[in-house]
Amino acid sequence: MAAATAAGSVPALQAALAAEDAAIFGYGVAGAHLSGSSQSAAEQDWTRHNEARDTLTAMILALGATPVAALPFYRLPFAVHDTASATALAAYLEDGVTRAYLGVVAVSDPRLRTFGALAMQVSAQRAAFWRGSTQAFPGLEP
Amino acid sequence: MLASAAALPVLLGTASCRSEDLFTGPDPLVGPPRPAPDVVTLQAVIAAEHIMIQLYRAAIGANRAGARAHGLEPLLAEHEQHLVRLRARLLVPAGAQASPSPSPGAASAPGAPRGRVTIARLRTAERASATGLVQRLGPVEPALAQLFASIAASDVTHVTALGG
Repeated sequence: MAAATAAGSVPALQAALAAEDAAIFGYGVAGAHLSGSSQSAAEQDWTRHNEARDTLTAMILALGATPVAALPFYRLPFAVHDTASATALAAYLEDGVTRAYLGVVAVSDPRLRTFGALAMQVSAQRAAFWRGSTQAFPGLEP
Repeated sequence: MLASAAALPVLLGTASCRSEDLFTGPDPLVGPPRPAPDVVTLQAVIAAEHIMIQLYRAAIGANRAGARAHGLEPLLAEHEQHLVRLRARLLVPAGAQASPSPSPGAASAPGAPRGRVTIARLRTAERASATGLVQRLGPVEPALAQLFASIAASDVTHVTALGG
C-alpha cells in the first residue's frame, strides 16, 4: 500500500519540480527588466523557488525516483522587454507553480496534500503581489 | 401480502426474525442513511463560507467608504464565487432543502455577525478559514481536496490584501 501511494505521488511531485525549474529560469529573465524594490522581490522569489526545487528533489529521491532535470531553456509565453511584461511574467510563473502544486493536493497521501496546499498558498500570494490583485481560485481553471 | 413498513413489525414479531434477515439493502426501519463523510465536510465548509460572506457584508454595510479604501468588495465577490462552486459540489435530493443562502442586506438576519466587523476581524477569519480548509484535505476525495486547497490559497491572499 505504501509503495503504491509513493508511486502515485511521484508524477505530481515531478510536475511541481518542473514548474519550479521553469520559474527559476523565468525569474532570471524577469529580474533583468526590473529595478528597485521589484527587482529585490524578484531576487527573493527566485531564491525561494531554488529552495523549493531542492526540497522537491529530496522528496522525489526519497521515494526512489529520479528527479526530472531542468531544461536548458524554457519558451516564454510572451516577449519580456520592460517592467510591465516582466511583472506579468512573474505572475504567470507563479500561476504555473500554483497549478502544479494543486496536482500534489490530489495525491492520496494526506501529508503530501498538506504540503501541496501550503505551497499553493505561497505561490498564490506571490502571484497576487505581481498581478496586483487576488483570485477566487488560484491554480484552478476559472 | 405486501410487506409495508406498517405491517413489518407484526410480520417480524410473529416470525421471530430481524429485518436484516429479509432485506439485503438499507434497513427501512432505521431511517435514511447518514450522509457520506465528504458531504458532511462539504456542508460544514459551505456554512463557514456563509459566515465569511456575512462578515464582509456587515463590514461593507457599516462603512462603505472604509470598505472601498480596503478593497473589501472584490474580496467579498471572491467569497461569493467560492460559495457558488462549493454548493455546485453538493447534490441536494428533490424535495430537500439546501443550506440557506444569505441575501443582500442580511446584516440583521438571524446568524448575522455580532459586534463590529473590523479589518482585523476579517483577517483573522480569513486565516482561520485557510487553516480549517487545509485541515480538511486528508480524507476527502481528490477533486474536493483541490477545491478546498484553492479556496484556502485565495483566503491567504485576502489576508495580505487586508494588510496582513
